Amino acid sequence: MSSMMLEAQQGMQTKPNPGLFKRNPPIAGEAEAIERAKEGDPDAFSKLYALHKRRVYTLCLRMLGNVSEAEDMTQEAFLHLFRKLGSFRGESAFSTWLHRLTVNLVLMHLRKKGLNLVSLEETINPSEDDAPKRDFGSRDNQLAGSVDRVTLERAVSSLPPGYRMVFVLHDVEGFEHNEIASMLECSTGNSKSQLHKARLKLRELLRNPEQLAVPASGKEGV
Amino acid sequence: MSDPAPLSQTTENYDNMTAAEFEERLPDLFQAGGGKVTEDPRFAVFLERNPDCAALVRDLEAIAAAAVDLFQPAEEDEGPPEPAWGSLITKEPDEAIE
Repeated sequence: MSSMMLEAQQGMQTKPNPGLFKRNPPIAGEAEAIERAKEGDPDAFSKLYALHKRRVYTLCLRMLGNVSEAEDMTQEAFLHLFRKLGSFRGESAFSTWLHRLTVNLVLMHLRKKGLNLVSLEETINPSEDDAPKRDFGSRDNQLAGSVDRVTLERAVSSLPPGYRMVFVLHDVEGFEHNEIASMLECSTGNSKSQLHKARLKLRELLRNPEQLAVPASGKEGV
Repeated sequence: MSDPAPLSQTTENYDNMTAAEFEERLPDLFQAGGGKVTEDPRFAVFLERNPDCAALVRDLEAIAAAAVDLFQPAEEDEGPPEPAWGSLITKEPDEAIE
């Protein structure tokens, strides 16, 4: 067994987070499809793919910021799912399990790309230029109640990779800081600090929309 | 200097906290308050006296709340191209991964 597969399996065996059942309510027909897919039914697997491909792809795209890499990693995630579905025991929501598998594959991919010799603890800290400004800003341009989805999505795309990773994992995907620390091989305090800086940076970007990136075109990336 | 105690474990009075102290403790404050600092009565007086801090907290809470909605892809969000599925089911998994 390759070290990549072993790591992915270890990632999947992390203690389940009961809170994620709330965000991942069972989907009609999913449980039956899982059982049939475990028995090798290709139609059932096709159904699971249809149910989850957009969320898995969106997760990959947000983490990678690159369309072609996101497509490749989505395929990789479902290949892994195909092989490992038999080990899914329903201790967490299926989509939680699938997303954890996906996150671990994306992180392995990033390490293979060049982060393999340095822990993410060091590499997720952006440069001073990318860090949020240390001021509270004017109250004139307040955001509360006016953060729309499209603008926030663009702002998240504009975040430095380290901030984006922690923000997506915590605020979007719902992972806890201790889970993120385990996945990113950093301390819980570092995860908490990076999340706070990410939110501050997002506030800055949302107050200055001219700084926002265009949607991912395949040319961006970590 | 040691880290300050987690806010969830303290009963100190935060009314006279400085803005700098507030900023330093904000990550822990969010964590301890379950992300709802504006609803935590321990900080009501401080936030009322420090409107810039209150505005910051409201903005950060709004960002975190909006992020939850990103979990579900929007209707118009594109998924991966369909050919990816075609190659998935035609490859032997061992061959494809190893």
